[in-house]
Amino acid sequence: MKFLVSRFNPDADARPYMQAFEVQVQRGMMLRDALLEIKRLDESFAFRHSCGEGVCGSDGVNVNGTNKLACITPVSELKEPVEIRPFPGRPIIRDLVVDMTQFYQQYKAVKPWLVRNDPMPEQEILQSPKDRDRLDGLYECIMCGCCSTACPSFWWNPEKFHGPQALLAAWRFLADTRDQATDERLDALEGPYKLFRCHTIMNCVEVCPKGLNPTQAIGHIKNLMLKNAV
Amino acid sequence: MSRKASGLKAWALQRLTAVYVGLFSLYLLLVLLFAAPDGYAAWRAWLGGPLVSVAMLLFVLAVLLHAWIGVRDVLIDYVHPIAIRAALLGAIGLALVALGLWAAQALILVRLA
Amino acid sequence: MALNKRRFDALIIGAGGAGLNAAIQLANTEARVAVVSKVFPTRSHTVAAQGGVNAALANVLPDNWHWHMFDTVKGSDYLGDQDAIEFMCREAIPTVYELEHNGVPFSRLDSGKIYQRAFGGQSQNFGGAQAARTCAAADRTGHAILHALYQQNVRARTHFFDEYFAIDLIRDDEGAILGALVLEIETGEPLLIEAKATVLATGGCGQVYRTTSNAHINTGDGTAMALRAGIPLMDMEFFQFHPTGIAGRGMLITEGVRGEGGYLINRDGERFMERYAPNAKDLASRDVVSRAIVTEVKEGRGVGPNADHVLLKVDHLGEDIVSKRLPGIRESGRIFAGVDAVHEPLPVFPTAHYVMGGIPTDPYGRVIVPQGTGEEIVPGLYAAGECACVSVHGANRLGGNSLLDILVFGRAAGLDVIENLKENRNHRPMNESSVEAAMARLTRWDQKGDGMPVRELRDEFRKTMEDHAGVFRTEEIMSEGVEKLKALRDRLPEVRLHDHSKVFNTARIEALELENLFDTGISIAYSALMRKESRGAHSRPDHPQRDDANWMKHSLYYRDGDRMEYKPVRTKPLTVESFPPKERVY
Repeated sequence: MKFLVSRFNPDADARPYMQAFEVQVQRGMMLRDALLEIKRLDESFAFRHSCGEGVCGSDGVNVNGTNKLACITPVSELKEPVEIRPFPGRPIIRDLVVDMTQFYQQYKAVKPWLVRNDPMPEQEILQSPKDRDRLDGLYECIMCGCCSTACPSFWWNPEKFHGPQALLAAWRFLADTRDQATDERLDALEGPYKLFRCHTIMNCVEVCPKGLNPTQAIGHIKNLMLKNAV
Repeated sequence: MSRKASGLKAWALQRLTAVYVGLFSLYLLLVLLFAAPDGYAAWRAWLGGPLVSVAMLLFVLAVLLHAWIGVRDVLIDYVHPIAIRAALLGAIGLALVALGLWAAQALILVRLA
Repeated sequence: MALNKRRFDALIIGAGGAGLNAAIQLANTEARVAVVSKVFPTRSHTVAAQGGVNAALANVLPDNWHWHMFDTVKGSDYLGDQDAIEFMCREAIPTVYELEHNGVPFSRLDSGKIYQRAFGGQSQNFGGAQAARTCAAADRTGHAILHALYQQNVRARTHFFDEYFAIDLIRDDEGAILGALVLEIETGEPLLIEAKATVLATGGCGQVYRTTSNAHINTGDGTAMALRAGIPLMDMEFFQFHPTGIAGRGMLITEGVRGEGGYLINRDGERFMERYAPNAKDLASRDVVSRAIVTEVKEGRGVGPNADHVLLKVDHLGEDIVSKRLPGIRESGRIFAGVDAVHEPLPVFPTAHYVMGGIPTDPYGRVIVPQGTGEEIVPGLYAAGECACVSVHGANRLGGNSLLDILVFGRAAGLDVIENLKENRNHRPMNESSVEAAMARLTRWDQKGDGMPVRELRDEFRKTMEDHAGVFRTEEIMSEGVEKLKALRDRLPEVRLHDHSKVFNTARIEALELENLFDTGISIAYSALMRKESRGAHSRPDHPQRDDANWMKHSLYYRDGDRMEYKPVRTKPLTVESFPPKERVY
């Protein structure tokens, strides 16, 4: 099977270029396995990866124009030649490795941690199964960055728009009945940029390898904001 | 629009105006299809009615507001140099205000006739 | 060019559960703490833990920490230190509550309390009925915990060095640890981090085996660094093979599947665990289940075209339970085995999963080494998590005790560092010769030429480990294995990098990891060859019985000359009566 892989070594190359590799495909082969095969052919090829089972979120890449997690993408589903590029819109460090600093900064900017003002009980804070169910589809995010780097609004304003990943995280805490910082969180999201750059393009939903729905989460935030304002 | 209003209020207004523009457009369509006034005089009389003229003025305002928010969004997305963006926003704002005034004038003239 | 230097009060190497739980204790004080991780923290392998964390909360069934302690001692095949086990089982309860307060989205019971499920090796009343002790966030507990701990560290403004690779510890002539030399992966520049206390929290080393549930990053970096600093590794022969990896691929299917009612069947559809463990059946201890599966396959009752695996039956549980309690498993089964667990059984076979051994520490995370007739603390060095050996798992770890271990002892290490910093207000003088030695390990890979590539030696090494230090171990297989491994080690200096570029050179990282795999892997094979009994995960057909008279002792492997020493098991708990060794049946 033919793979075209984006290569860039800042020590040697002025700009990225595509390099062709032929990889022998095995049954059940994932894209990560194919990238590892390519690395066997050329040890200078660089990409991030670790768990190999879609939970660590290291190996997000752009495949035939769509952001995917390489370790859970069967090569049999891909059209040949398979074109593999780094995430769009991020500065390239080397080959498929991009600089995700801004993505992480946006995550940190939504204060993604549980805030309690009440004294902690001696045991667990109680939460009904129904209230806990509200967190399903939110807490599973692996921060791979497939969504935010597929989001045009994030491409245009990555320094100001939080992006779908961070906003999903924001809603994860707003939706948590144990959290006691709803007003502060909502106030912090006000303004034209952080939240309201989302134009429900829904690329994020389409590419999320965990099947999560950031657009819906963003909608929930807007509705809650509106409810609190009137 | 004030700085504070620019997030939630803009979003809410855009939705609100969209609903009004949608409903009024539907009403216009129905009038055109089933009860279209016959001739210029009938048109003027219909448009000069108190309910219709106010509703039409609101419609124009809603369209302009909706357009303003939409254009502003596009400029925030794509035009980053602040001077160019401000100039474009100013020019478009002026054009929208002029359009509004023109529509208001037309409606007032219809009422006065 | 001058070496860049940074100074911190504490340096933590590794940003998994242990490292982050140590860091958060320190970050909540005035201490300046640096966390070095070769991957972004939420990529650490804690993220892959599925089933949950044990604590005797008694939310579902009656329970108390003393029963938990009994199960852990028994599970360890009486090789665990009972003082450390008591400490861990008592601390489990406040530790889980603290996690919940830190935001972990645990699954809930109708009462609003944390959901707990049954796991292997758990009993009520010292060996009675099955207990339900494993606190779970669906089957993504490790993910939920790791993210919550990272979030709390972000809140506390912990200083992270993301994507920095630790090369070696720096020590002075008295053996005190002064910090570490690290490599910024993005730029390829080395950096010397000085610290009054250094915590190794680098996790496991499953990559020494070819088929493993462990991530690419689990290369035994901390254990190898300790070895090179002259510190022995304890009980390395005890390596857990998880019974249910996806056959041929190694990805894990949590024990929680069996906790929720799943069970194993062979070619004839027989529920074979009834023969091997009449009481606990599929929830017997992991070593017991793994050996049973390998035995079934060896005796020709395997499934599939090559009769090389067995099946884990889940479909009888119904779609509701599977999608509510085991959603991640359904996903993994679909992706990696092409099987929907709701309708078909999953193909499984044991996979290299967890090292019980590691850097010897006391219950406060302080690294301890034999000295004369007693032991002494290595000044300035701590270890916690899978890279450490406290020892609470002894010869076999119970499911749900590894998340517990990393959290309890990560926290304890963090708290002890705080105390330590009160007494040690100044950095010790730097030892340039130790820095040079660490730099040499880095610059060695600048050598050019046509040597063997890293991958070639790595593949051979991992295959040899799998063939010669796997589930069943005989003298013959293992002594041959150790010879082969030594021969491979001798070829290590011939290996050359062909890519010498600076920026994000992952080939260089893999070369440094290869050395770590060698040091750690050989400690496993060598310790295994020397232990002439069967205990827990260490199963020798030529010495099938546990031999308490001669072998109820911890082994210590030194890199220098491949030397072994032994030290006694600490059988006296902190406050309760000791559990005397008994035959281990489930």
